[in-house]
Amino acid sequence: MYQGSCLCHAVTFDLAAPLRPIYACHCQQCRKTSGHFWAATSVPNTALKLTCDDGLRWFQSSPTTKRGFCGTCGSSLFWVPQGEDRTVVAAGAIDGDTQLQTKAHVFVADKGDYYKICDGLPQFDEFKGDESA
Amino acid sequence: MCHCGQCRKQSGGIWSSAYVHQDALAISGAVQWFASSKTAKRGSCPRCASFLFWKANAEDTISFSLGSLEGATGLTLSKHIFVADKGDYYDIADSVPQKP
Repeated sequence: MYQGSCLCHAVTFDLAAPLRPIYACHCQQCRKTSGHFWAATSVPNTALKLTCDDGLRWFQSSPTTKRGFCGTCGSSLFWVPQGEDRTVVAAGAIDGDTQLQTKAHVFVADKGDYYKICDGLPQFDEFKGDESA
Repeated sequence: MCHCGQCRKQSGGIWSSAYVHQDALAISGAVQWFASSKTAKRGSCPRCASFLFWKANAEDTISFSLGSLEGATGLTLSKHIFVADKGDYYDIADSVPQKP
């Protein structure tokens, strides 16, 4: 069992293992939202339990996706593709050691010009990976 | 590149930023400020929560996210900071200097 939260704890949640490996997304939306790139795992919705949703707000980021965040501190927490029974969860929101590894960088065609990806992990110009959790 | 616990929580990963004198930054639209400590505050978009700004109360500079910039920036990274707090799910593999 993992626990996570936003910065101010107006949103807290539990995640039931196992968690999907981390994907680092360099798309324009993730870059804007996070301020750099967004790293996230994914779980079936049944594995996500919101233990406090006082601060949880949603932004419809595209016709088919929405992003969940804390309305108090602004932490970026969730990404939900409509029609799929899963939630993508920010790796940075998870408390303590995750025992997870980053599997790949995706949407690298959209990456910023001010950093290099040097870790040797696979890089894709779109999403390629385990779509489902 | 800030790996501190606060930046990791708010950004979801790592926060990258540069800073300017506060007089050099013109902000349009609303910013939601969160006092993340007694000495600093964090600014985000109230509608979509994009993490945009970090401001130390006692300083006359303001940090802004590099992810928020449009197009090519022409910038390069100068250092990784608070790497002692980094997540366990990634490695820092570039040659940019690191500070604990």
